[in-house]
Amino acid sequence: MTPLLEIQNLHASVEEMSILKGVDLTVHIGETHAVMGPNGSGKSTLAAILAGREDYDVTGGSVFYQGEDLLEMDVDERAREGVFLAFQYPVELPGVSMMNFLKQAVNSVREHRGQEPLNAASLLRLARRNAELIHLDPSLKKRSVNEGFSGGEKKRNEIFQLAMLEPTLAILDETDSGLDIDALRSVADGVNALRTPDRSFVVITHYQRLLDYIIPDFVHVMVDGRIVKSGGKELALALEERGYEWIREETSAVPA
Amino acid sequence: MTPSADITRFVTAFEHREAARNGSHFWLGDLRREAMRQFTTLGFPTRKTEAWKYTNIASTLRRTLATDVSVVSVDNARAAPIPGLDAHVIVFDNGRYRAALSHIQDLPDGVLVTGLAEAAQSHAWLLRRYFGRVADYETCPFVALNTAFTEDSAVVYVPANTVLERPVHLVHRISSGQDALVQPRVLVIAEDNARLTLIQTSVTTSAIPTFTNAVTEIFVGRDAHLERIDIQDEPDGASVVSSLDVTQDTGSTFHNSSFTLGGSIVRNNINVLTDAEHCQTFLNGLFLAEGASHVDNHTLIDHAKPQCYSSEYYKGILDDRATGVFNGKVLVRQDAQQINAYQSNKSIVLADTARMYAKPELEIYADDVKCSHGATTGQLDDEAIFYLRARGLTEKQARSLMLVSFARDVTERVTIAPLREVLDALITEHLGA
Amino acid sequence: MFMNTDTQYLHKVAESDYEHGWVADLAADTLPKGLNEDVIRLISSKKQDPDWMLEWRLRAFRHWRTLADDADKYPRWAHLQYPEIDFQNISYYSAPNSKPKYESLDEVDPELLRTFESLGIPLQEQKLLAGVAVDAVIDSVSVTTTFKEELGKLGIIFCSFTEAVEKHPDLVRKYMGSVVPHTDNFYAALNAAVFSDGSFCYIPPGVRCPMELSTYFRINEAGTGQFERTLIVADEGSYVSYLEGCTAPRRDENQLHAAVVEIVAAKNAEVKYSTIQNWYPGDREGIGGVYNFVTKRGICAGDGSKISWTQLETGSAITWKYPSVILKGNHSVGEFYSVAFTKGRQQADTGTKMIHLGSNTSSTIISKGISAGRSNNSYRGLVRVNKKAKNARNFSQCDSMLLGDRCGAHTFPYLEINNPTAQVEHEATTSKVGEDQIFYCNQRGISEQDAIKLIVSGFCQEILAQLPMEFAVEARKLLAIELEGSVG
Repeated sequence: MTPLLEIQNLHASVEEMSILKGVDLTVHIGETHAVMGPNGSGKSTLAAILAGREDYDVTGGSVFYQGEDLLEMDVDERAREGVFLAFQYPVELPGVSMMNFLKQAVNSVREHRGQEPLNAASLLRLARRNAELIHLDPSLKKRSVNEGFSGGEKKRNEIFQLAMLEPTLAILDETDSGLDIDALRSVADGVNALRTPDRSFVVITHYQRLLDYIIPDFVHVMVDGRIVKSGGKELALALEERGYEWIREETSAVPA
Repeated sequence: MTPSADITRFVTAFEHREAARNGSHFWLGDLRREAMRQFTTLGFPTRKTEAWKYTNIASTLRRTLATDVSVVSVDNARAAPIPGLDAHVIVFDNGRYRAALSHIQDLPDGVLVTGLAEAAQSHAWLLRRYFGRVADYETCPFVALNTAFTEDSAVVYVPANTVLERPVHLVHRISSGQDALVQPRVLVIAEDNARLTLIQTSVTTSAIPTFTNAVTEIFVGRDAHLERIDIQDEPDGASVVSSLDVTQDTGSTFHNSSFTLGGSIVRNNINVLTDAEHCQTFLNGLFLAEGASHVDNHTLIDHAKPQCYSSEYYKGILDDRATGVFNGKVLVRQDAQQINAYQSNKSIVLADTARMYAKPELEIYADDVKCSHGATTGQLDDEAIFYLRARGLTEKQARSLMLVSFARDVTERVTIAPLREVLDALITEHLGA
Repeated sequence: MFMNTDTQYLHKVAESDYEHGWVADLAADTLPKGLNEDVIRLISSKKQDPDWMLEWRLRAFRHWRTLADDADKYPRWAHLQYPEIDFQNISYYSAPNSKPKYESLDEVDPELLRTFESLGIPLQEQKLLAGVAVDAVIDSVSVTTTFKEELGKLGIIFCSFTEAVEKHPDLVRKYMGSVVPHTDNFYAALNAAVFSDGSFCYIPPGVRCPMELSTYFRINEAGTGQFERTLIVADEGSYVSYLEGCTAPRRDENQLHAAVVEIVAAKNAEVKYSTIQNWYPGDREGIGGVYNFVTKRGICAGDGSKISWTQLETGSAITWKYPSVILKGNHSVGEFYSVAFTKGRQQADTGTKMIHLGSNTSSTIISKGISAGRSNNSYRGLVRVNKKAKNARNFSQCDSMLLGDRCGAHTFPYLEINNPTAQVEHEATTSKVGEDQIFYCNQRGISEQDAIKLIVSGFCQEILAQLPMEFAVEARKLLAIELEGSVG
C-alpha cells in the first residue's frame, strides 16, 4: 500500500545554514506519529516545509504525499489536498470574522473535493458541533480570527479548524507549548476525538507530557536535523526519564 | 516668491561685504554668491508657507538685525565646561572662533577641532569636499542666508576608523550691543567607522534682542556612530532659527537629542537623509516653553534607501502663554523597502493660554514598511497627583515630580552621564521644582 | 437588490426637474462653455429662482472671481497632482438629459458591464446606470410617493433643493450657507454660484425618521450632479440617517464635481450621513476620470447633538474631501469613519476637520486607507480645540495599507490645541498585508487573492460596520470587486 506520507533523505537550509540533514519518515493512513527532539533539532522546520513555508530551501531529498510530489504544490493546494498544519504561533487576522474565514476555507476545500459548498446554516451547525467537541468557547466564533485570543484559545482554535477542514494529514506543531495542564488535556481530548482510521497525525513536541494524552503509534527522535531513533510509545517515556543527552550519546557512536 | 523689502537689505549688506573683500579669493566665495542668489529667489517664508504655518517669523525679520556684529568679550565664566565632563571645549563668540578660550586636549592623529580659518589652511580639500554639501541652501532660505554670510565655522573632523573618546563641546556665545543677526555655522564629518560625541550649547547674554540663524551640517560616514546633544537655553528676547542637516552613509548611526529650555521664538529644522542602507537614526527632543515663548520643532527623516530604522521621540511642556509646535515628517521613498520608522510626540499643556500644535506626518511610497506615529496632548494626570498627595507630597511637589519624570524620559536617552545630570538640574530649575 | 422594495431606502428616482418648467425661449439644453455673471443669471432663470436666490448666487460668484483671479488663492496645498482646471472651458448648466447616450448595452464598455454583473445589478438598472435607453422605467415613482406620504405625516420634508427653494423658502434662507458659507473655499464659492440642484431634508423636533433617506438612485437626474447642494436640518431631539451614493460605477460626462453638503443638528439631534463614492476613476492611465472636490460640513449647533460621517471612497480620479464637524454645542459629538481605496492612477486626499468650540465635546476619527497600483492615498485631518472648549476629547486613528510597491500612503494630521483641558490622541500606522497572514490563510486552503481580499476587508471592518446594514453589504461587495484585479 502506498504510504500517505513518505519523506526520503530530506535536506533543507535557511540562509545557507543547513537545518535538516537527511530526514526519513513514512506515515501510513490512520497512524499517529510523534516527532520529538530538543530545541533547534529541526522539528518545526520539518512541519514548516510540509506545510509549504517558503523561508526554507529544500536542498535535497523528496516528500511524497498520496503518491504525489508534495514539494511541487502551492501552500493552498496542499491544504485543499488535505494537509493541515496546526500552527505553533497562530496568526491574528484583525477584523476578519471567524465565520467568514471558515466559510471560505471550508468551501474551498469542499469545492476541491467535488462537494457542494455549505450554506451559512449548515456551516453554522457544523461549527457548533465541532466547537462543542473541542470545548471551544462559542463566543470566540463571533470574534476576529485569533485576535485577542489567549494562548490556550488560539491553540484550541487550531484544533477547531482541524475539525472543520477534515484533513487527511494533520501536523501539530508544538501544540502543547504554552498550555497549562487543563488546556493541554482539552486540546488532547479534541485531537483524540478526531483520530479516525482515514486520518493520520504527525505530532511535533518537545515534551513527553502531551503524549500522555495523545498516545502515538510511533515515536521518532530528531537530533541535529535527523531522525536518530524510532520506536513505539515507550520510547517517549524513556526519553522523559533519561533526557535527550542519552540519545545523543547513544547515536553519536553510530556513524550517520 | 519674489524678492521683497525684507530681503533687499540683506542683499545690500552682502554686496557691500563682497566688495570689501576686494576680490580676495577666499575659497568659498563662489558658494557664498550662489547661496545669495538662491536666497534672493527663495525669499523668507510667510505664514502661508506650509512649513511655517504655525510660526510667525515676520516680526523678527522686520527688526534692524545688523549683519556686522563685532565680537564682544563676554563673561568668560559662561564658557565654563560642563561640570564633571571631560571634553574638548571649543568656544565661538557671535559665530567667531575664540582659540584663546577654547580648551582642546590631545587629539588622535588626523582629528580636527578648530575654526574655519585654520581648517582652510590645513584642510582645504576637506572643506571643498564637504562644506555646504549637506546644508540645503537651495530650498531653505535661512540656510542660504547663513551660507551667503559665512565668515567662520566650527570644523570637527574625525577621520576613518578613529574613535574620539572625549566629547567635543561647542559653546556658542551670543552677545551684542545692538539688535543683531548672528549666524553661527558648524561642519562635522565623521568618516567611515569613526565615532564621535558632539555637544552644542548656546548661550545668549545680550540684554537687547538678537536673532541667531545657525546652521549645522553633519556627514556620518559608513558604519560611523555620531551622537549629538544640543542644548538651547536662551533668554527672553532671543530668537533662533537653527538648521541641522545630516547625511548618513551605509550602516551608520546618528543619535540626536535636542533640548530647548528658553527663547522668544525658537525654530529648529532637522533634516536627516539616510541615503544608504542599514542606517539607524534617533531623534529625541524636549522643549519647555513658558512666558510668551514660541518653540517649533520641525523634523524630516528622509528614508531614501532600504532597510533603515528610525525612531523619533519628542516631548513638550507648555506653560503661561507659550506655544509649542511639533512637525515631524517621515518620508519613505519608492524602493526604500523594509523601513521601520516610529515617531512619538507627547505634550503637556499647563495653562489656559498655552497652545500646542502637532503635525506628525507619514509620507510613504514603499510597501514593505512598518511606520507609525502617535501624538498626544493633555494635562497632568489628576489621579496621579492625588495619589502623590495622599502619600504626603504637597501639590507643588507632586506636580514638579510628575513634570520632571515626564521630561526625564528624554534626558535618559542621552548616553553621557555627567550631561544627563546637568540636564536634569537645568530642567528641574526651569520647571520651578 | 437595488430596487428591493423591502429595503428601507427611499429612492428619489422620479424627482425630475421637468415639472418646474423651462424658460421656453431657451432652446438649448446645455449652456455654452464659460462662466460670467450672465451665465449665473441664465442658470438662475432656468431654475426660476426667486430674487434672493439670484442675489445669493451673484454674491458667491463675485467672491469666486476674486479667488479665480488670484493665482495664490487657487487651492494647491493638498497632496494631489493634476493639470490646472480651465474654469472657462466648462459648461455650467446642462438640463436633465432625457436622451439616451447609447442605443443598446452592446455599445457600453464591457468592463463596466462585468462590474454590474458581479454586483448583481438587474439588467434594466444596468441600462439606466450606463445611460442606455430603457423602454419601461422601473416602477419607482409609486415607491417614492408611498414613502413621501409616510414622511409627510411626521412633518419630515425630503425633496429636491429646487422644490425646497420654492416651497420652503424660509427654511432654505435660514440655513443655506450657514455651515459652508460661499467664502469657505474656492469650490464652495463656485458651487454656491452655479449649483443646479440637490436635496433638502428637514426633520421636525422630536421626530425619529423611520427610514434611511437616500439619494443614490437619481439616475434620471444625470447631469445635475456636477454642482450638487445638499442641506439637512435636524431640529431638536430628532434623528435621521442619510445615505448618499451608489455602489455601481456611474459613467459621467462631467469631469469636475464640486458638491456642497451642509448639516445642522439642533439640541440633542443626531444625524448619520453615509456615503459610498464610486465615480468613474478614469482608465488605467487615469484619463477621463472625475475630479471630486466636495465640501461637506456639519454643525452640532445645539447641546448634546451628534453628527457622524461614514464614507467608502473607491471612485474618482481625484478625491479632495474633508467631511467636518463643528462642535459648537456643549457635550456634542462628532464622528468620522472612512475607508478610501485607490488603485490605478487614482489620487485621494481625504480626511476630516473636527473643530471643538463647546465644552465637553468629543470627536472620534477612524480612517483606513488602502493604496494599490500607482495610486496615492492621503489622510489629511485637523483637530482644533479652541480656547474656550473645556474638556474636549479626541481620538484619531489612521491606518494605511499598501498593496504594491508603486503606490503611496500618506498621513497628514494637524492637531491644534488651545485649551489645556483637552485630551487629544492621534495614532497612525502604515504597513502591508503580513506574509504570515497570507500563509495562514493559504494553509487553510484559501488562495492568495482571496486571502488578500479577506485581510483587507478585515482591515476595513470597523468602518463598514458603521454603515446601515444593506448599504454595508453593498459596500463589502464593491470593495471585493475593486480589489479584484488590483492585487496578485
